[in-house]
Amino acid sequence: MRATLEGEFVRLRPLEVTDAEMTLGWRTSQRAAHLNAGSQTLDEQARWIASRPESEYNFVIELRDGRPVGMVSVTGLDERHGTCEPGRFLIGDEAAVRGTPAAVESMKLIYELVFERLGLRRIHGTIVSENTLMIKWQKFLGMREEGRMRQHFFVNGRYQDCVIFGMLADEFRRDALPRMKALIAAGRAVRTTAPDE
Amino acid sequence: MSSKKDQVEAIIFGALEALNAERAPDEQLAISADTRLFGPDAVLDSLSLVSVMVDVETMASDEFGRAISLTDDRAMSQTPVPFTSVRALSAYIEELLGE
Repeated sequence: MRATLEGEFVRLRPLEVTDAEMTLGWRTSQRAAHLNAGSQTLDEQARWIASRPESEYNFVIELRDGRPVGMVSVTGLDERHGTCEPGRFLIGDEAAVRGTPAAVESMKLIYELVFERLGLRRIHGTIVSENTLMIKWQKFLGMREEGRMRQHFFVNGRYQDCVIFGMLADEFRRDALPRMKALIAAGRAVRTTAPDE
Repeated sequence: MSSKKDQVEAIIFGALEALNAERAPDEQLAISADTRLFGPDAVLDSLSLVSVMVDVETMASDEFGRAISLTDDRAMSQTPVPFTSVRALSAYIEELLGE
């Protein structure tokens, strides 16, 4: 059983089969339009969750009051090369996280998991070229564009480029982590209600 | 001729309109100087907030011919936080441009 990752605004707890209905709703929403097509039925989603290999980390993002608001994963873990691919990042309940650094803290917990706990040295990922929101987000979080595969994805009824991103452990510690901590601190500064612990 | 305040505000509105262009019809943001960007009653999550700040940085640099940073430690550690609302962000950018 994977451990839960605890943050100030969110916790990441392991994805379970009982999350199938909720996560299917998120994955089939307009907000997930730029992601690769996944399960289309509740049964498919439950089977997909049940079949996740031990080598993956799949989390539900919960606010500190227990409300589930999204999901995120770590896949492709390669201990020999020290690499992995954080992904499947989706805020499913945007209204619940407005005005808070929930999304940035979720990614901080993921990056700390892979670089500090697992001791990996590099992360990488791909984004559909029209997903400009996610591209800006990943760059803000320290990911660097490393390349592009032209017309690699068929998403939203058309072929789109695949943008390749990567970040090394020292870049995370030097560039990304201070920026993440600063945005979380800004969230703390504007918060009117104290966290539940 | 519009004032710098109007120019800056127009840039922020432009970034919010760009965000609206990527959102579903039922998720459109109501845009005004009082629009709350971060903190209680805000309309953005941190993912969308970052998108707006990055766009504003780019558009402000194009408009005024000099780079400004809204995503550095200085901006993030300001008290009060400068991106709680369109009005507060506009005032902070004006301050940066005045330096």
